[in-house]
Amino acid sequence: MEPLPLSEPVLLILVSLAEAPRHGYSILKDVTAMSDGRVTLSTGTLYGALRRLLNDDWIERFEDEDTSRGRQAYRLTANGRRHLQTEVRRLKQLTRVASLRVAPRER
Amino acid sequence: MLALYRSVLYLYPEDHRREFGDEMQAVFAEAERSVAVLGASSRMAFYGRELFGLIAGAMEEHIRCLTGIRSWGVLPWRRRAMRSDFRFSKATPVLMALILVAILIAIEKATAIRNSVYPASSVHVGPLHAEHFTFVPSLMLMFACAYLVGMIGWAIVYALHRSGVHRLDGMKGGTE
Repeated sequence: MEPLPLSEPVLLILVSLAEAPRHGYSILKDVTAMSDGRVTLSTGTLYGALRRLLNDDWIERFEDEDTSRGRQAYRLTANGRRHLQTEVRRLKQLTRVASLRVAPRER
Repeated sequence: MLALYRSVLYLYPEDHRREFGDEMQAVFAEAERSVAVLGASSRMAFYGRELFGLIAGAMEEHIRCLTGIRSWGVLPWRRRAMRSDFRFSKATPVLMALILVAILIAIEKATAIRNSVYPASSVHVGPLHAEHFTFVPSLMLMFACAYLVGMIGWAIVYALHRSGVHRLDGMKGGTE
């Protein structure tokens, strides 16, 4: 099972698939767009992550209408969505605490 | 480049290649088309990132197959493979040199062990013919070549970075 906290590429892949089923290239573009160009996955990195997420039953293959050119779509499973929600809650908690601590203090 | 990509895919374990090989090639082809309109430095970064990602991914898959260890985030190069501006760490040549030295020491130790088990007097040595230069020298040559190529690649990327050519991508043409 994918350990929590999730690494940034895995988190971005899961967030990308949370919205809608996507195929590999669509995930690559979405991850780059979501991170504002800061994270660009290589195909090797992407398919290493997809293979592990498939094995852990966090994502599953999805029969898309557009199966041309070797395209295979993936979507989040209920298990994957539950873990993603847990991670999002953890990040929210972290950012809330961090925001409180780094906020300028009134004297 | 697709042919090269396909050949590098053979570094992966067969089951991974069978399951994802076609998809990876299709995604690479699409990504390659999208960077074809970009500048030379962006294309270089793309090919470098893809090559590095493939090699690191193949190593991780083999490690997983052999040991069952899943190494996402444990191996430092995985973090490098996702960077938008691909570049070698300055520690890379040092790390590669250390690996090369470790291999040479291992070979030397293995030779010493063999000599202790089979003393030189009882073993016919030489003259050495071409057929003796098979596995170990080939391996050493391969590592030396990989090290050399890595150094050249690092020097090129470093020189490009020093020249500031990577900043050209961020420039917008025309003024209003």
